Amino acid sequence: MENFEPVVVAFACHYCAYTAADMAGTKRLSYPPNVKIIRVPCTGKVDMIHIMKAFEKGADGVCVAACLDGDCHFKTGNVRAARHVDYLKKFLDEIGVGGERLEMVSISAGMGEKFAQIATEITEKIRKLGPSPVRIA
Amino acid sequence: MQGEKGSSTNNRVLVIGAGVGGMRAALDLAEAGRAVVLIDKAYSIGGLMTQLDRTFPTNNCDVCTLSPSLSESGRELPIDLMTSTEVVELKGDAGDFKVRLTTMPRYIDLEKCTACGDCLASFPECVRFTPGLDPRAPTCMRYPQATPFAFSIDMSRCRDIQELVQVCKAGAIIPDEKAISREVSVGSIVVAPGAQLFDPGNLDTYGYGTFPNVVTSMEYERILSASGPTKGELLRPSDSKRPRKIAWIQCVGSRGLQAGANPYCSSACCMYALKEAIVTKERFFNDIETTIFFMDMRTSGKDYELYYQRARNDLGIRFVRSRPHTVDQDAETRDLHISYMPLGENALREESFDMVVLSTGFQISSDMQELAERLGIKLNKDNFVEGDRFSHVATSRRGIYACGLFESPKDIPETMVQASAAACNASVHLDPSGRTPEAREAFPPERDVSKEEPRIGVFVCDCEFNIGGIVDVNDVVKSFEKVPQVVVSKMIGHGCSRESLDLVRQAIEENSLNRVVVGACSPRTHEPLFQDTLRRAGLNKYLLEMANIRDQGTWVHMDRPAEAVEKVKELLRMAVSRVRLARPLADHIVPMNRGVLVVGGGVSGMTAAVSLADLGFRVTLAEKTGQLGGVAKIISRTLEGADVRSWLESLVQKTASHGNIEVLTHCSVVDHCGTAGMFTTGLQVGSDYRKIDHGITILATGAIPNRPDEYLLGKHEAVMTQLDLDGLLEKNASAVRGWKNVVMIQCVGSRVPENPNCSRICCQAAVKNALRILDINPDAMVYVLYRDMRTYGLQEEYYTKARERGVVFVQYEPDQKPSVQSNGNGRLKVRFGDPILGRDLILDADCLALSTGFIANQETTDQLASVFHLPKTNDSYFLEAHVKLRPIDMSVPGFFVAGTAHAPKTIAESVAQAQAAAGRALTLLATETINLGASVAQVDRAKCAACLICVRACPFEVPYINPEGYSEIDPAKCQGCGVCASECPAKAIQLMQYEDDQIIAELEGLFERV
Repeated sequence: MENFEPVVVAFACHYCAYTAADMAGTKRLSYPPNVKIIRVPCTGKVDMIHIMKAFEKGADGVCVAACLDGDCHFKTGNVRAARHVDYLKKFLDEIGVGGERLEMVSISAGMGEKFAQIATEITEKIRKLGPSPVRIA
Repeated sequence: MQGEKGSSTNNRVLVIGAGVGGMRAALDLAEAGRAVVLIDKAYSIGGLMTQLDRTFPTNNCDVCTLSPSLSESGRELPIDLMTSTEVVELKGDAGDFKVRLTTMPRYIDLEKCTACGDCLASFPECVRFTPGLDPRAPTCMRYPQATPFAFSIDMSRCRDIQELVQVCKAGAIIPDEKAISREVSVGSIVVAPGAQLFDPGNLDTYGYGTFPNVVTSMEYERILSASGPTKGELLRPSDSKRPRKIAWIQCVGSRGLQAGANPYCSSACCMYALKEAIVTKERFFNDIETTIFFMDMRTSGKDYELYYQRARNDLGIRFVRSRPHTVDQDAETRDLHISYMPLGENALREESFDMVVLSTGFQISSDMQELAERLGIKLNKDNFVEGDRFSHVATSRRGIYACGLFESPKDIPETMVQASAAACNASVHLDPSGRTPEAREAFPPERDVSKEEPRIGVFVCDCEFNIGGIVDVNDVVKSFEKVPQVVVSKMIGHGCSRESLDLVRQAIEENSLNRVVVGACSPRTHEPLFQDTLRRAGLNKYLLEMANIRDQGTWVHMDRPAEAVEKVKELLRMAVSRVRLARPLADHIVPMNRGVLVVGGGVSGMTAAVSLADLGFRVTLAEKTGQLGGVAKIISRTLEGADVRSWLESLVQKTASHGNIEVLTHCSVVDHCGTAGMFTTGLQVGSDYRKIDHGITILATGAIPNRPDEYLLGKHEAVMTQLDLDGLLEKNASAVRGWKNVVMIQCVGSRVPENPNCSRICCQAAVKNALRILDINPDAMVYVLYRDMRTYGLQEEYYTKARERGVVFVQYEPDQKPSVQSNGNGRLKVRFGDPILGRDLILDADCLALSTGFIANQETTDQLASVFHLPKTNDSYFLEAHVKLRPIDMSVPGFFVAGTAHAPKTIAESVAQAQAAAGRALTLLATETINLGASVAQVDRAKCAACLICVRACPFEVPYINPEGYSEIDPAKCQGCGVCASECPAKAIQLMQYEDDQIIAELEGLFERV
């Protein structure tokens, strides 16, 4: 797989990570186009089904991008999301997709640099892991 | 000129200074429908706070929390921002001031400037540049990201003006621009120019300016900051190596310690030093040793003590109670040697550090003193604004209010409180009917599209170069022409321009479109604009989907245009796929009830009630006891000597006789429902139950004077609290004349495991009573046994005066508490350790005054928190929405907190917070309707198994199982997070706008094979 371009779906919370992604744009910070953002009101809204659907449809990696600890606009949505992600990581290991393809990150609204950096790191990580077994199958 | 736009003279306020305080005041006033002229002397806005890396106690970057409040998308706030502008002259009186302003030239035409940066590249010495904070008049108040860069020129430093003019391709440089002088008429003025930082260059003992590795705390913030000179790498100045040992020295330039220092305490330095040490520790763990040299750790703000204890106990930050005398430098390594003597030792120690941070305080510059002179307001001997005894924001001149550092040294939350308080006070002098009406537009009726197949219009902006310069928008648009159900696919230039929006509207009408995709910038900023266009075309606004192809497309993939094209197409495909499933939704709009419920009839409750009642609002004041007045009833004097009683009596009188206030005594809150603007609360008034409708709730339920069972309190007549002593000094001064020894013990029942926080008021109470005892009986010996003397701000000077007058202050540690015994003759034997003498002392005391402080009104707070669904702290104070930037708002909209129900504070601080609560309430009371939005969770009753998971999961406790046996979610209370929807195992709950099939459709759009 020489020209493998991974697809990473990022569920981004409107109040923090999505705003940080906009901020990366405002500052013209470049990151790989492999990361595709889906806006959600809160990462607590990200259903485990949505994450699994993303893998089923062909995502090589999924990232849930939440607010920093204690900064959730809805108090504890990010804590719940973290629990969902932990659970699914184990599940993804069990079914052979690999838990390392799913990641939870915390970014505050002003952290454009961090968003760009995380987008770059995740893309490179998934690139090293290769295409998702779901996609090959 | 913009300052003249559509409002009558006396509906406008001038706000001087655009730091956090000035911005908060301007926003509060503007949101309450008042016109604001906001000026700042600097060429960019933001004040000191924007230079900070992070702020305590959340350790977050708060510029990001603040800047969105300046963008207030979709709403045009009546704020005229003028940078590089100063007040030259003030005439007139409250209600009708005439102010002459001068604006210095920027030498750049902001209309023409494209922020390309060519001028900065060629002339770095004279072009000033402030990324991220744009002073461009009102645009930046709405959309900071629309014009993110600001340039200005210092012509005096330009070596070749003609060359500079040539460099600018846009022709935006105006070399001969002149200062502009103008007069504005305003009803009142808020002064918030901040303060300057003390310059330690004048001190000869710490080597600042000579030793490169001695930096000020602000310089350390810049070194830590990602936007700072080292791009967030912690490197010391001398050799750009990471330091391994850093020391902080407190009170540099404060507390009168060095020659040339200010006599007061700067209030914020203990906390910011802790923050800097904590952030350093958090980032580098044990790789860096951090030491703070201090005299008294003054962490008396809300929960600040916990922050201190965490630093001390969990993070391994070292604290040395000592004031280092000198800092020396090793000439070769540039390492620094600090010599100091810790309290309780009698030999000098020397220790070396890689870096030394000086915690410098605040002071008022001569510019600010001149400003005060021009405004005709009095300053005190330290050059801070001389405020009213009980209402510190009120200056000596009617109609002018001060807030923030110019009033006295303080931190950001206190500045925010005073800013809102000043906004409230400033409103008094304005025309009550002169509120700027809400902009409103009549839209045609919405077309019923429910029976129609999707007919989608795709509109893509080129945003000039921003999108069109990276991708071929024509090609993008073409690729969507053949997509099923897409009827129109068009390029629309600047989509947000009037012409383009009209084009979209026409296209919707001509092609009977029923779904719209706009490929443009971020929905965060521009969705309301395009939603309005749909409504003008007779479509429900929720039939729109935006693809963020600029901020999250072309702007971040400029370096690879080929991939950017694919990304833009993907984002649009996702939006098209999702919009097919969009359906019309109704916003929940209800009329605003302008009634106010104030719970608690102490100083804070009465002040908030009177502030709002004076502005014409109807207030119900609910007091649990039979009397107004609260704890202040048993306080006779303030530290400054003001008579509390007569002031309180007139406040009670004013409250009780006010035509707009209904006082209900023996009243408690029983039940509550509704949302901001439409609350209904059930009250038990004596033996009657009644329900009231109101739009706003202000909580002012206070705290309780603590009386712990310690040191023979209540068991021996000579043992009393500071409050008891205050009463005795007022009523029976002769009893004091015979006293020889008086002992005071601080932190009794505070800073202990049962009540871990500092009570804030006790140190100043001890100093106040010690000085009063000496006034009556100059021969008495007063001993104050303390852990840290926390006479913050201007209180410090009373502490100094007490020491000068012979009051003996002895430090003790909590593991060596003093002990007290009755000696049988009505007196007491007090035993305590003296760290300077290094041995125990025994005193025969006539009076033992315990500084017992406050404990939370737990029973009331817990009950109200449960009835109103409000968060509280671990120690049962109400927890505000944001400890730094929203210290008055509760996280539930429509609720505000004031006074000691929030945290212990002085009377004047309670008054400020009560006025601030009223000021914040005014922003809601100015609206006619409340729009609750459409993004609420809906339950499919057929699928619901009443499993209670949603009931438990909801962060706001909204869902409940109704009598019919399924979960019900009140759309008026739902906050729209969608947690219930993702947790529901039966998938019986859907969050409108974010339904599961819509999110999955977005994924399908992404992975569609094309």
